Amino acid sequence: MQDIKRVIEENNGKIVVEHDYFLLVEVSREHVRKLARALFEAGAYYSTGVGSDERPKNGFFAMYHILNHEESKKYIVLKVETPEHDLRIPSITPEIEGANWAEREAHDVLGIVFEGHPEPERLILPDDWPEGVYPLRKDFKYNEKVKPVRKEEKFVEREDALVLPLGPFHPTLHEPEYFEIYVDGETIVGARYKGFFVHRGLEKLAEGRLTIHQIPFVAERICGICGYTHMICYCQAVENAIGLEVPERAEYIRTLLLEIERIHSHILWFGVVYHLLGFDTGFMHAWRIREKVMDSAEILTGNRKTYGMSLVGGVRRDIDEDKKEKTLKALREVSQEMKNLFDDVLAMKEILNRIEDVGILPKDRARSIGVVGPVARGSGINTDVRKDHPYAAYKYLDFKVPVYNGCDVLSRYLVRADEIFESIYLIEQVLDQMPGGDIMVERFEVPEFSVGVGATEAPRGEDVHFVITHRGSKVYRWRPRAPTYNNLPSVPVMLEGEHLADAPAIIGSIDPCFSCTDHVTIVDDSTGKILFRGSLEDAIRRLKR
Amino acid sequence: MVDVLKKSIWVFHLNSGSCNGCDIEVLDVFTPRPDFERFGVKLVPSPRHADAIALTGPITRAMVPKVVEAIKALPEPKIVLAIGACACGGGIWHDTYVVVGGIDEFYKILKEEYGMDPPTTIYIPGCPAKPEALIYAAGILADIIKQKQRRREDVIREEDEEKRKIETIIREEIGSRHFLPKIIVKRGPREGSV
Repeated sequence: MQDIKRVIEENNGKIVVEHDYFLLVEVSREHVRKLARALFEAGAYYSTGVGSDERPKNGFFAMYHILNHEESKKYIVLKVETPEHDLRIPSITPEIEGANWAEREAHDVLGIVFEGHPEPERLILPDDWPEGVYPLRKDFKYNEKVKPVRKEEKFVEREDALVLPLGPFHPTLHEPEYFEIYVDGETIVGARYKGFFVHRGLEKLAEGRLTIHQIPFVAERICGICGYTHMICYCQAVENAIGLEVPERAEYIRTLLLEIERIHSHILWFGVVYHLLGFDTGFMHAWRIREKVMDSAEILTGNRKTYGMSLVGGVRRDIDEDKKEKTLKALREVSQEMKNLFDDVLAMKEILNRIEDVGILPKDRARSIGVVGPVARGSGINTDVRKDHPYAAYKYLDFKVPVYNGCDVLSRYLVRADEIFESIYLIEQVLDQMPGGDIMVERFEVPEFSVGVGATEAPRGEDVHFVITHRGSKVYRWRPRAPTYNNLPSVPVMLEGEHLADAPAIIGSIDPCFSCTDHVTIVDDSTGKILFRGSLEDAIRRLKR
Repeated sequence: MVDVLKKSIWVFHLNSGSCNGCDIEVLDVFTPRPDFERFGVKLVPSPRHADAIALTGPITRAMVPKVVEAIKALPEPKIVLAIGACACGGGIWHDTYVVVGGIDEFYKILKEEYGMDPPTTIYIPGCPAKPEALIYAAGILADIIKQKQRRREDVIREEDEEKRKIETIIREEIGSRHFLPKIIVKRGPREGSV
């Protein structure tokens, strides 16, 4: 802890806020790059970056870089300010690779220029969005409709390989995403991901129309699978910003539902992976078992998904003995049936051969890309927000973090399999130890321009929310960052050198959740310059020519 | 509901910027407990093979041309199942800067920019739409269940008729010099409608 403070002070950083969960550090434009480098060398890795228009406050634009320092169990928020007439900030991407997307995104939505950025291209917003219109500036209304500009599509061919488009609608993807896979015969030589189809203007909506108590519900609708973890993450960010203590019983109820959600999400993933491998019997069995988890969610919250259970300061509904018993009974059945299913599936050579030694992500690459969650744990990295930055009731509970060293699809499979049973064990502890008392803090003051960071371990990995509060129960800036945002860049690494037929299983193995990621949108171009958009038909026609 | 569809209905699933909530419920109805395939409903990988499009999400701007392409590819009679609050009316996103805001707004664009008439649409509300609601919609589509909800123009027409009846009764009563007319309003067929 002292070390990291010394590093910050030696590199001209000024610690403004010191919180149990995070440090807010102000740094001038000249020194940001050096400080970022020093922190990276001290073991912090890049989590996310947030641009903010703070002209109504002081006439400046600000960029917040959020770094995760696991050793001291703190997030470090670097704040860099720049005046309106001189919108330039030195890019820290040359020092930390992970800042690439965050800086490009800040440029897209706010118009901040990052000097020295290696690829300063448009990243988010639809293709037909006009230049020079920045939606997250405060003078842009959240419901303003911008006239689209028609843009000519660039077609660049690749000489050595056939370009195979996968998406935006494809039977193996249940969300609109676009992968370009470059194949030479049957072998994949490169891949490119293009998103942005699910960009819904969430952050602007939250700042423009909603109040602090309405945002939890929109946060939950970031994602229909792991929505509750976003809801909790937002609530924790606001609670950290205003210094609110949540009642212990509410913490336990939150933990209970987070784990229920993790179980349903993981079983769903197993079903999808079996389906992608062509093993539909497994898919049907997994989803049949999952119905029991959905039933317990309905008993506990009233809805199968999108629980709507939390607000800033606590949870909305209590649970009683009857619900407890029903949940435990259902989970015991789930535990037994999942054990049987896993035993049966891993005894099948056909399945094992399809996932063993496929989609390799070496440990050092995994660390440099900064993957999170089961993808990192499948590559031998022991990381889990529940242990590293304890939140909710995890600090009172006992659980293991499964880590596997295989670096392949099988390892990621096994990590998730173990996590299901760990989650069931956690829920048993929660229901056993749950204390009595209040479930909600009703009254609290919201200070103006207070900064907060919240993090949770979503089923897919580390989920980080950043909040700046505002007067009148509003939020000045809110930025959620979903785990898939960090995991997607690893897909091209995994795909290279594999067979085309394995591509769906490999893409599926990171458990991609695009709607989470695309509230902001990303384009990853691992190969640099190739841009091809069109149908499969076009690709074949051009190949024939 | 549609006379042509007497047998199995094949559905193409189209996510137009949904949060995944409805999408996994769409998948969920094909799994053992709800088992959509009992009714002959099947997910197909192309709109050209499908009878209906299962559309989820509020339709983001980037998705408009893709949704239009899919609807064009759908054979006649075109049917769209608008699944979830977002698809029905834009949901919580209805007026943000990159969202069209639900299927009705999208049909306006379809009419103005592409000159196409809106296809037959079934609205399935819910956030997310429950499997039960999806099965109910399939029942209506396959003409197994009678539709409880009425079309807006039908409701307006019936209300007008009723008003006219009441007016006639009042006039007759006044004509017969009974000062306290006894009005009986029969609401039979619309009772219980939503």
